[in-house]
Amino acid sequence: MDLNFTPDEQAFREQIRAWVKANLPKEISDKVRNSIRLSRDDMQRWAKILGKNGWLGWGWPKEFGGPGWNAVQKHLFEEETALAGAPRVVPFGPVMVAPVIMAFGSPEQQRRFLPGIASGEVWWSQGYSEPGSGSDLASLKTRAERRGDFYIVNGQKTWTTLGQYGDWIFCLVRTSNEGKPQTGISFLLIDMKSPGITVRPIITMDGEHEVNEVFFDNVEVPADQLIGEENKGWTYAKHLLAHERTNIADVNRAKRELERVKRIAKAEGVYDDLRFRDEIARLEVDVVALEMMVLRVLSAEKSGKQSLDVAGLLKIRGSEIQQRYTELMMLAAGPSAVPLIKEAMEAGWQAEHADAGAFVAPLAATYFNMRKTTIYGGSNEVQRNIVAQTVLGS
Amino acid sequence: MDFDFTDDQEMLRDTVRKWVEKSYDFEKRRSIVKAGGFSREAWKGLADLGITGLAVPEAHGGMGFGAVDAMVIMEELGRGLVLEPFAAVSLVATHLLATSKAPEAAQRLEGIATGKDLVVLAQEERHSRYRLDAIETKAEKDGDAWRVTGRKIAVPAGAGASAFIVSAKNGGSLGLFLVAQGASRLEVKPYPTQDGAAAADLVLAGAIATELHPAGDARAALELAVDIGIAALCAEAVGAMDKLVALTVEYMNTRKQFGVPIATFQALRHRMADVKMQLELARSMSYFATLKLGEPAPARRRALSQAKVQLGQSMRFVGQQCIQLHGGIGVTDEYAASHYFKRLTVIELTFGDTLFHLGEVSARMQETAGVFA
Repeated sequence: MDLNFTPDEQAFREQIRAWVKANLPKEISDKVRNSIRLSRDDMQRWAKILGKNGWLGWGWPKEFGGPGWNAVQKHLFEEETALAGAPRVVPFGPVMVAPVIMAFGSPEQQRRFLPGIASGEVWWSQGYSEPGSGSDLASLKTRAERRGDFYIVNGQKTWTTLGQYGDWIFCLVRTSNEGKPQTGISFLLIDMKSPGITVRPIITMDGEHEVNEVFFDNVEVPADQLIGEENKGWTYAKHLLAHERTNIADVNRAKRELERVKRIAKAEGVYDDLRFRDEIARLEVDVVALEMMVLRVLSAEKSGKQSLDVAGLLKIRGSEIQQRYTELMMLAAGPSAVPLIKEAMEAGWQAEHADAGAFVAPLAATYFNMRKTTIYGGSNEVQRNIVAQTVLGS
Repeated sequence: MDFDFTDDQEMLRDTVRKWVEKSYDFEKRRSIVKAGGFSREAWKGLADLGITGLAVPEAHGGMGFGAVDAMVIMEELGRGLVLEPFAAVSLVATHLLATSKAPEAAQRLEGIATGKDLVVLAQEERHSRYRLDAIETKAEKDGDAWRVTGRKIAVPAGAGASAFIVSAKNGGSLGLFLVAQGASRLEVKPYPTQDGAAAADLVLAGAIATELHPAGDARAALELAVDIGIAALCAEAVGAMDKLVALTVEYMNTRKQFGVPIATFQALRHRMADVKMQLELARSMSYFATLKLGEPAPARRRALSQAKVQLGQSMRFVGQQCIQLHGGIGVTDEYAASHYFKRLTVIELTFGDTLFHLGEVSARMQETAGVFA
């Protein structure tokens, strides 16, 4: 047993750190550190910087143009970018659909779609949830009917994160009503500029436009955009879920935000209030424990000696911690978090009002925003079902 | 970064587990509790395995093994609810003896390795509440020897110990003194503890003592000894929780109500998921505690307090919920679950409870946080 990273891993970390320092634009990291809204351009800009260096698909194997890093190297990359204040890479392309295309797509599909994902040129969205299909995803109803060389798609997807920017969307669609609900689902790649697609914003309680409804009205999708076999989509989607391991805990971002909690508490004069400080201390213990759990998973992956099936635990704990740090930041601001300032998440406004404590203005909105974390990606209650099944053996 | 155990460590685990299964089943343990909570025969069994001298330097007849080996043993002793004071003698006191320059220390170390000697730390007092220097016991020089006066509580092994390492103040500074069992002006008042083990209060009325650690280095030695003790307790707790959770899972799958196993009820399934969460967080922080023992004091102390906070929370949640999930059978003396619960409870009250260590984490907090901070 050894807690420390190997000299090689340390050197790798240093290399990433130096590169991020030299390449992450300060305007962007300043925004990330102060809850300032990131524009599509900000996100694209960082994606393309990574893409140019071959790191937007940082989890990709070499054969598809990725760096071929192991689990520990991926973790170190994620940690160094998060700690430096890089935006979270929008995962739908490089992290979510790309592994499916690599595993189940045809060589032609791989040649066609992977380069645009790797470079950051093409923005992907995810079309899974529907108004009637949340935790029970397999009940989805959006239909795709084969007609000649096309599928005709009708239905509605929802909670499509950043779908307003999407160029392409990968969708789970119903191609059969026979057998179990899971066996009639297919995995389709759809150009969002296709006639018949309408994207409508959903405004969330923080006043932000982050998620959307996507309507499909007789949308023609060329049949060569079906991944793998018809009615096997559920299997491919599950592969995708299994692909998300330690990243799901987002512990690196939690470390960065914990530092921010402390800075805000100091600025707001509650750091020396022992009752408040103890709450930060509790969160600090939670973050260290989560990080240790993540490291255990990485070590198990590296050595292959012991299997560690704790993905559900990582999702539950990670999301709870994300909610907790935004909650503590808001509580630290106290009454100063109350005014609703629509411009609070704009860089210009924050700069103008810097002297008046502008940095606390977005904290309530951030807290509201984070309620999503225990709901999305398989609600924490669904995760508990999965954990319980593993523990109880049935 | 590597959390695998070596083949030797797996063998060590196997050896201890087999010993527990063969020589320390629940009925055997019950008979030891009835007889006062300490079995000389069981201690000899541990000595025969060679592990009482685990941390004793090889020059003194021990194995000179490290912290991870200790963790492996503690997990297994926790799983078996072993009452004998392995951590107190073979880890905590052994550290204080191995770092002492006193001639008697070497002799005691050899005794620990053979299983003849049980030396334990007597640190806690009625009002010290886990604070190492908030003690009233005094030490005064008397010719070549020392005389120690004061009262110590919750001393492990108690009547079964052969000597005590007593923390005491001389002037304003803390020292550590060795007082032999049977010394004149030492009264040992033995009692059983809530978890069935043996302990005692010590009344020292000028008991004759030798100096183990002089003022100056005693504080640092004691802090590290306590941290070694915390890491050991964390590992013991993980072993105990592992077994308690396994018992609970088995019970949920066999106990039927309303015509079905209670493991089918979602309210209980989610509770079990939360229990599993607390168990894995605890295991993670137990590793953290052990692997941080070699760090410089400030980082080490912060880490050990962080671990004890997590363990405190986990032990209480896992203990309470596993009793709850068992229903009525969980509160009986007859069934093992309650005994695990009681041991977990006593572990929280040893070397600092959750609130005490939360205060330590709070006081030692820095700008950055994380495993490597």
